[in-house]
Amino acid sequence: MELQKVDLFIMTNAKFFEAHHLGWIREQLIQMDDSKWPTLQMQQYKDPTTYIIVSLLGGSLGIDRFMLGDTGLGVGKLLTCGGLGIWTIIDWFMIMPATREKNMALFQGVLNYA
Amino acid sequence: MSRSRLYTIVLLACSVGSIWLWIQNSQNVLTRAGETGTCLIKTITGVPCPSCGTTRSVFELLDGHLINSLQWNPMGIIVLLIMVTSPIWIFFDLLFKKESFLRFYGQAENHLKSKWIAIPAIGLVVINWIWNICKGL
Repeated sequence: MELQKVDLFIMTNAKFFEAHHLGWIREQLIQMDDSKWPTLQMQQYKDPTTYIIVSLLGGSLGIDRFMLGDTGLGVGKLLTCGGLGIWTIIDWFMIMPATREKNMALFQGVLNYA
Repeated sequence: MSRSRLYTIVLLACSVGSIWLWIQNSQNVLTRAGETGTCLIKTITGVPCPSCGTTRSVFELLDGHLINSLQWNPMGIIVLLIMVTSPIWIFFDLLFKKESFLRFYGQAENHLKSKWIAIPAIGLVVINWIWNICKGL
Protein backbone atom coordinates (compact mmCIF):
# COMPACT_ATOMS: atom_id res chain seq x y z
CA MET A 1 0.00 0.00 0.00
CA GLU A 2 1.13 3.59 -0.60
CA LEU A 3 3.23 5.13 2.17
CA GLN A 4 1.00 8.21 2.28
CA LYS A 5 -2.08 6.10 3.07
CA VAL A 6 -0.17 4.07 5.64
CA ASP A 7 1.04 7.17 7.47
CA LEU A 8 -2.44 8.68 7.32
CA PHE A 9 -3.86 5.54 8.94
CA ILE A 10 -1.15 5.53 11.64
CA MET A 11 -1.67 9.23 12.42
CA THR A 12 -5.45 8.90 12.63
CA ASN A 13 -5.59 5.64 14.58
CA ALA A 14 -2.42 5.60 16.72
CA LYS A 15 -4.37 6.13 19.97
CA PHE A 16 -6.36 2.92 19.41
CA PHE A 17 -3.27 0.68 19.52
CA GLU A 18 -0.36 -0.05 21.85
CA ALA A 19 2.70 2.07 20.99
CA HIS A 20 4.90 -1.01 20.59
CA HIS A 21 2.47 -2.47 18.01
CA LEU A 22 2.58 0.57 15.71
CA GLY A 23 5.81 -0.43 13.99
CA TRP A 24 4.45 -3.88 13.21
CA ILE A 25 1.11 -2.39 12.03
CA ARG A 26 3.00 -0.03 9.69
CA GLU A 27 4.98 -2.91 8.20
CA GLN A 28 1.83 -4.96 7.69
CA LEU A 29 0.04 -2.03 6.05
CA ILE A 30 2.92 -1.43 3.62
CA GLN A 31 2.77 -5.09 2.55
CA MET A 32 -1.04 -5.12 2.49
CA ASP A 33 -3.03 -5.24 -0.72
CA ASP A 34 -4.84 -2.01 -1.72
CA SER A 35 -8.16 -3.87 -2.00
CA LYS A 36 -8.32 -4.18 1.80
CA TRP A 37 -8.09 -0.40 2.35
CA PRO A 38 -11.89 0.28 2.28
CA THR A 39 -12.51 -2.55 4.80
CA LEU A 40 -9.76 -1.18 7.02
CA GLN A 41 -11.23 2.32 6.87
CA MET A 42 -14.69 1.05 7.82
CA GLN A 43 -13.54 -0.60 11.08
CA GLN A 44 -14.98 0.95 14.22
CA TYR A 45 -12.15 0.91 16.74
CA LYS A 46 -12.95 1.20 20.44
CA ASP A 47 -11.69 4.38 22.12
CA PRO A 48 -9.62 3.55 25.26
CA THR A 49 -10.51 6.95 26.80
CA THR A 50 -14.22 6.15 26.68
CA TYR A 51 -13.56 2.81 28.36
CA ILE A 52 -11.53 4.30 31.22
CA ILE A 53 -14.40 6.73 31.94
CA VAL A 54 -16.92 3.86 31.89
CA SER A 55 -14.59 1.80 34.10
CA LEU A 56 -14.30 4.62 36.65
CA LEU A 57 -18.07 5.15 36.77
CA GLY A 58 -19.53 1.67 36.25
CA GLY A 59 -16.59 -0.67 36.85
CA SER A 60 -18.16 -2.12 40.01
CA LEU A 61 -21.08 -3.38 37.93
CA GLY A 62 -18.81 -4.78 35.20
CA ILE A 63 -20.24 -2.40 32.56
CA ASP A 64 -16.73 -1.77 31.14
CA ARG A 65 -16.20 -5.50 30.51
CA PHE A 66 -19.71 -5.93 29.03
CA MET A 67 -19.03 -3.06 26.60
CA LEU A 68 -15.70 -4.57 25.62
CA GLY A 69 -17.41 -7.86 24.72
CA ASP A 70 -15.96 -9.81 27.66
CA THR A 71 -19.43 -10.83 28.86
CA GLY A 72 -18.16 -13.63 31.11
CA LEU A 73 -15.78 -11.33 32.97
CA GLY A 74 -18.56 -8.71 33.18
CA VAL A 75 -20.88 -11.23 34.85
CA GLY A 76 -18.02 -12.15 37.20
CA LYS A 77 -17.57 -8.53 38.23
CA LEU A 78 -21.31 -7.94 38.58
CA LEU A 79 -21.83 -10.98 40.82
CA THR A 80 -18.94 -10.18 43.15
CA CYS A 81 -19.37 -6.41 43.80
CA GLY A 82 -16.61 -5.79 41.26
CA GLY A 83 -14.43 -8.59 42.61
CA LEU A 84 -14.77 -7.25 46.20
CA GLY A 85 -13.65 -3.87 44.86
CA ILE A 86 -10.16 -5.19 44.04
CA TRP A 87 -10.93 -6.23 40.45
CA THR A 88 -12.60 -2.83 39.86
CA ILE A 89 -9.41 -1.01 40.87
CA ILE A 90 -7.21 -3.38 38.83
CA ASP A 91 -9.44 -2.77 35.79
CA TRP A 92 -8.97 1.00 36.09
CA PHE A 93 -5.42 0.28 34.99
CA MET A 94 -6.10 -2.76 32.77
CA ILE A 95 -9.08 -1.58 30.74
CA MET A 96 -7.12 0.70 28.37
CA PRO A 97 -4.55 -1.99 27.40
CA ALA A 98 -7.44 -4.49 27.10
CA THR A 99 -9.28 -2.11 24.73
CA ARG A 100 -6.16 -1.70 22.61
CA GLU A 101 -5.74 -5.50 22.50
CA LYS A 102 -9.33 -5.79 21.21
CA ASN A 103 -8.55 -3.19 18.52
CA MET A 104 -5.45 -5.17 17.59
CA ALA A 105 -7.57 -8.33 17.21
CA LEU A 106 -9.97 -6.34 15.00
CA PHE A 107 -7.05 -5.12 12.86
CA GLN A 108 -5.64 -8.65 12.54
CA GLY A 109 -9.11 -9.79 11.49
CA VAL A 110 -8.97 -7.39 8.53
CA LEU A 111 -5.45 -8.57 7.65
CA ASN A 112 -6.53 -12.21 7.62
CA TYR A 113 -9.74 -11.40 5.75
CA ALA A 114 -9.42 -12.95 2.32
CA MET B 1 -9.59 -15.83 25.66
CA SER B 2 -6.99 -18.57 25.91
CA ARG B 3 -7.58 -21.74 27.95
CA SER B 4 -4.77 -21.11 30.44
CA ARG B 5 -5.80 -17.47 31.01
CA LEU B 6 -9.47 -18.33 31.62
CA TYR B 7 -8.64 -21.21 33.96
CA THR B 8 -6.16 -19.04 35.90
CA ILE B 9 -8.70 -16.23 36.32
CA VAL B 10 -11.51 -18.58 37.42
CA LEU B 11 -9.31 -20.53 39.85
CA LEU B 12 -7.87 -17.31 41.26
CA ALA B 13 -11.36 -15.81 41.69
CA CYS B 14 -12.64 -18.98 43.38
CA SER B 15 -9.61 -19.05 45.70
CA VAL B 16 -10.02 -15.40 46.69
CA GLY B 17 -13.76 -16.03 47.17
CA SER B 18 -13.08 -19.01 49.44
CA ILE B 19 -10.54 -17.05 51.51
CA TRP B 20 -13.05 -14.21 51.73
CA LEU B 21 -15.77 -16.58 52.98
CA TRP B 22 -13.35 -18.11 55.50
CA ILE B 23 -12.39 -14.65 56.85
CA GLN B 24 -16.01 -13.55 57.00
CA ASN B 25 -17.03 -16.80 58.71
CA SER B 26 -14.41 -16.29 61.41
CA GLN B 27 -15.86 -12.81 62.01
CA ASN B 28 -19.43 -14.18 62.01
CA VAL B 29 -20.83 -11.84 59.33
CA LEU B 30 -24.49 -12.78 59.88
CA THR B 31 -24.61 -11.45 63.42
CA ARG B 32 -23.33 -8.05 62.36
CA ALA B 33 -25.34 -5.49 60.40
CA GLY B 34 -23.66 -6.69 57.23
CA GLU B 35 -21.20 -3.83 56.94
CA THR B 36 -18.38 -5.45 55.00
CA GLY B 37 -17.00 -2.22 53.54
CA THR B 38 -15.77 -3.82 50.32
CA CYS B 39 -18.46 -2.54 47.96
CA LEU B 40 -17.21 0.65 46.30
CA ILE B 41 -20.73 1.80 45.35
CA LYS B 42 -22.04 1.38 48.91
CA THR B 43 -18.96 2.95 50.47
CA ILE B 44 -19.13 6.02 48.22
CA THR B 45 -22.88 6.55 47.79
CA GLY B 46 -24.40 4.66 50.72
CA VAL B 47 -26.70 2.84 48.29
CA PRO B 48 -26.25 -0.95 47.97
CA CYS B 49 -25.18 -2.43 44.63
CA PRO B 50 -27.05 -5.30 42.88
CA SER B 51 -24.75 -7.91 44.44
CA CYS B 52 -24.66 -6.57 48.00
CA GLY B 53 -25.73 -9.31 50.42
CA THR B 54 -24.21 -12.10 48.34
CA THR B 55 -21.78 -13.17 51.10
CA ARG B 56 -24.63 -13.41 53.64
CA SER B 57 -26.74 -15.25 51.06
CA VAL B 58 -23.94 -17.81 50.51
CA PHE B 59 -23.60 -18.34 54.28
CA GLU B 60 -27.35 -18.94 54.64
CA LEU B 61 -27.23 -21.39 51.74
CA LEU B 62 -24.29 -23.24 53.30
CA ASP B 63 -26.37 -23.53 56.49
CA GLY B 64 -29.20 -24.98 54.40
CA HIS B 65 -31.55 -21.97 54.71
CA LEU B 66 -32.66 -21.55 51.08
CA ILE B 67 -35.45 -19.03 51.76
CA ASN B 68 -33.20 -16.83 53.92
CA SER B 69 -30.55 -17.03 51.23
CA LEU B 70 -33.03 -15.86 48.57
CA GLN B 71 -34.13 -13.03 50.84
CA TRP B 72 -30.56 -11.76 51.28
CA ASN B 73 -29.72 -11.92 47.57
CA PRO B 74 -30.67 -14.53 44.91
CA MET B 75 -27.27 -13.95 43.27
CA GLY B 76 -25.68 -15.87 46.17
CA ILE B 77 -27.05 -19.12 44.74
CA ILE B 78 -25.43 -18.45 41.34
CA VAL B 79 -22.13 -17.46 43.00
CA LEU B 80 -22.02 -20.59 45.18
CA LEU B 81 -22.93 -22.78 42.19
CA ILE B 82 -20.06 -21.29 40.15
CA MET B 83 -17.64 -21.47 43.09
CA VAL B 84 -18.39 -25.16 43.63
CA THR B 85 -18.68 -26.46 40.07
CA SER B 86 -16.03 -24.51 38.13
CA PRO B 87 -12.90 -25.64 40.10
CA ILE B 88 -14.04 -29.31 39.83
CA TRP B 89 -14.77 -28.88 36.11
CA ILE B 90 -11.38 -27.19 35.50
CA PHE B 91 -9.61 -29.88 37.54
CA PHE B 92 -11.09 -32.62 35.33
CA ASP B 93 -10.25 -30.62 32.19
CA LEU B 94 -6.62 -30.30 33.30
CA LEU B 95 -6.48 -33.95 34.31
CA PHE B 96 -7.83 -35.28 31.00
CA LYS B 97 -6.29 -32.45 28.88
CA LYS B 98 -9.65 -31.29 27.54
CA GLU B 99 -11.18 -27.87 26.84
CA SER B 100 -14.82 -28.50 27.78
CA PHE B 101 -15.00 -25.62 30.32
CA LEU B 102 -13.50 -23.19 27.79
CA ARG B 103 -16.05 -24.29 25.17
CA PHE B 104 -18.90 -23.97 27.68
CA TYR B 105 -17.67 -20.48 28.66
CA GLY B 106 -17.59 -19.40 24.99
CA GLN B 107 -21.08 -20.75 24.35
CA ALA B 108 -22.45 -19.14 27.53
CA GLU B 109 -20.93 -15.78 26.48
CA ASN B 110 -22.54 -16.03 23.04
CA HIS B 111 -25.95 -16.89 24.55
CA LEU B 112 -25.70 -13.98 27.01
CA LYS B 113 -24.93 -11.59 24.16
CA SER B 114 -28.19 -12.40 22.34
CA LYS B 115 -30.80 -9.73 23.03
CA TRP B 116 -33.46 -12.31 24.01
CA ILE B 117 -31.38 -13.29 27.02
CA ALA B 118 -29.46 -10.06 27.67
CA ILE B 119 -32.51 -7.78 28.01
CA PRO B 120 -34.43 -10.00 30.52
CA ALA B 121 -31.16 -10.58 32.43
CA ILE B 122 -30.52 -6.83 32.72
CA GLY B 123 -34.17 -6.41 33.81
CA LEU B 124 -33.72 -9.03 36.56
CA VAL B 125 -30.51 -7.38 37.78
CA VAL B 126 -32.26 -3.98 37.93
CA ILE B 127 -35.24 -5.49 39.82
CA ASN B 128 -32.81 -7.16 42.24
CA TRP B 129 -31.02 -3.85 42.69
CA ILE B 130 -34.28 -2.03 43.50
CA TRP B 131 -35.16 -4.84 45.94
CA ASN B 132 -31.70 -4.48 47.57
CA ILE B 133 -32.25 -0.75 48.01
CA CYS B 134 -35.74 -1.35 49.48
CA LYS B 135 -34.31 -3.94 51.89
CA GLY B 136 -31.67 -1.41 52.94
CA LEU B 137 -28.79 -3.90 52.78
